[in-house]
Amino acid sequence: MLRLDVVRRLGDAFELRAALELARGGTLVLLGESGSGKTTLLRLLAGLLAPDQGRIELDGATWADTASGFGLEPSARSVGYVFQDYALFPHLSVAENVGFGLRAAGVGRGEARRRTAAVLERFGLASLAGRRPAALSGGQQQRAAVARALVLEPALLLLDEPLSALDLATRRQVRGELRDILREHAGVSLYVTHQPMEALVFGERIAVMAGGRIAQVGAADEILRRPRSAYVAEFVGLNLFGGRVVRREPGGLARFRTALGELVVADPVDADDAFVAVSPHAITVSREPPAGSAQNVFAGVVRELVPEPPLGERVRVVLATEPALVAEVTRGAVESLGLAPGVRVYAAFKATGITPYR
Amino acid sequence: MTRLSPAGLGLRLAVGVAIALFLALVGLPLVALIVRVAPGELIRRLGDPIVLAALRLSLITSLIATAVVVTLGLPVAYVLATREFRGKRLLEVCLDLPMVLPPTVAGLALLLAFGRAGLLGGALGALGVSVPFTTLAVIIAQAFMAAPFFVAPTRAAFGSVDQRYLDAARTLRASEAHRFARVMLPLAAPSIVAAAAMACARALGEFGATITFAGNLPGRTQTMPLAVYVALEGDLGAAVAMSLLLVVTSVGLLLALRSGGQGFFMSRAPARRR
Repeated sequence: MLRLDVVRRLGDAFELRAALELARGGTLVLLGESGSGKTTLLRLLAGLLAPDQGRIELDGATWADTASGFGLEPSARSVGYVFQDYALFPHLSVAENVGFGLRAAGVGRGEARRRTAAVLERFGLASLAGRRPAALSGGQQQRAAVARALVLEPALLLLDEPLSALDLATRRQVRGELRDILREHAGVSLYVTHQPMEALVFGERIAVMAGGRIAQVGAADEILRRPRSAYVAEFVGLNLFGGRVVRREPGGLARFRTALGELVVADPVDADDAFVAVSPHAITVSREPPAGSAQNVFAGVVRELVPEPPLGERVRVVLATEPALVAEVTRGAVESLGLAPGVRVYAAFKATGITPYR
Repeated sequence: MTRLSPAGLGLRLAVGVAIALFLALVGLPLVALIVRVAPGELIRRLGDPIVLAALRLSLITSLIATAVVVTLGLPVAYVLATREFRGKRLLEVCLDLPMVLPPTVAGLALLLAFGRAGLLGGALGALGVSVPFTTLAVIIAQAFMAAPFFVAPTRAAFGSVDQRYLDAARTLRASEAHRFARVMLPLAAPSIVAAAAMACARALGEFGATITFAGNLPGRTQTMPLAVYVALEGDLGAAVAMSLLLVVTSVGLLLALRSGGQGFFMSRAPARRR
């Protein structure tokens, strides 16, 4: 069990403030844009950075506690760290890299050689044992880095964007291998990425980080259906608004004030502050003010048209509203409505079917 | 090709003249040394006992001085590269001082430190040791003058080892001693070897501090540069032959330094990221 509750400032502009609890055998994915504090969090856990405030505890043992001024050296923590571009020692062979931790931990030469060989075998690196990192492919380097981090069977495994240095084809193949390895790992695993796709592949649980805070923690499908950050909402393709109820109306409707303007939505929440997610499919686009029953209508100029993969049969219409509103229409509609950047349109959606959540 | 403006043309001319003058300044004396001595003459001079004794003394003392500088300088460079402490700036200036100090002043300072009437003179005298005008004094003078040529680049080499490798080693249970021996030292090694070669070349050429602190006793303290100086008074041929010998030795050292490849004076960092 990993418990942490830490605050760490970097310079004047950035502050990380995070609290987490994680059971053994699980993988938590930290998802966030660069600068959101993911790597800072990993470095705090490894002991490469000290918290300004707070505690870190693993399996009941204290690793850091600012109240008593205690901080365990990184070399005394049971941690494996896969660095973003691996940081394999360039002057050592693959076998020496993988065996480094064993020798540093004082394991005898023979025993270290035996265990290194076993790990190299398990990671399919046995035939590359004598090579220098520079003579390996990206995928092989990645495997060597993971093998090196796991050789001491750490209680906490930290992976910082382990796939980002790989080309796309390699990434797909390595992803599967890595997922199996994480599944077998008995300790706690933390996996950092800025790619939501990767987060969905690796994380039973995902923590979304933004601006040094953990914006949302939850199961992957929960994060997908009910995003609480603009970052995830944009990835899953939802229009997300944070809003406050200004008036409840008869018929189970509520009027929300959001950055875009006032929205009328179906209202099952009793809270005053909530998120409203609007699917681009639910938004209709027209050149004239709509005459139908939609309660929410916004006028705006088309900023761009983005064809949706794979065939471009559907097109995302991004309006230059603040914040940008995204609708999805068919290619036929684009042609019949004469949609193009700069054209003024109306976007409308109904109150029903849009559910606010906290 | 675009036509050069008069100003551009003038600039080109000035740069060309500067390069020519610079090459003449540095190269002409070397050429003068080389054309002065016939090869047979050079080989004959090598048999001269005085030349042989000076060459032998020079090689032995400068190698020992280099060993001393490397042994004592490595920990100093490491601490300077990895620690912050009060008075660090002052210490750095003091360590660089021999580079800019007139060698005779350095020799005088060494006399005042280790001489009979110097700071340590009493203590050394009680032990029955007298340093000045001995081979030991030669080694001390050379080490004193050569030290900054080793410490400064070695410190820079330690400082430029990529922090990621040290972080990786820390997360792999490596103590500081282990990180030094297995990560920092091997990654900085090419620059350290180059720095040692530079220090050795400096020790080999040392003159002023040696003659002030160690004197000019043939066989005991008369190194090659001193022997050249003495020969200048009487036997110009011997002086030229010995000078050429020194040049050859120094060129050999500099070549070794260049093939080491990643020296202080060449701008390649030792542990670049991929």
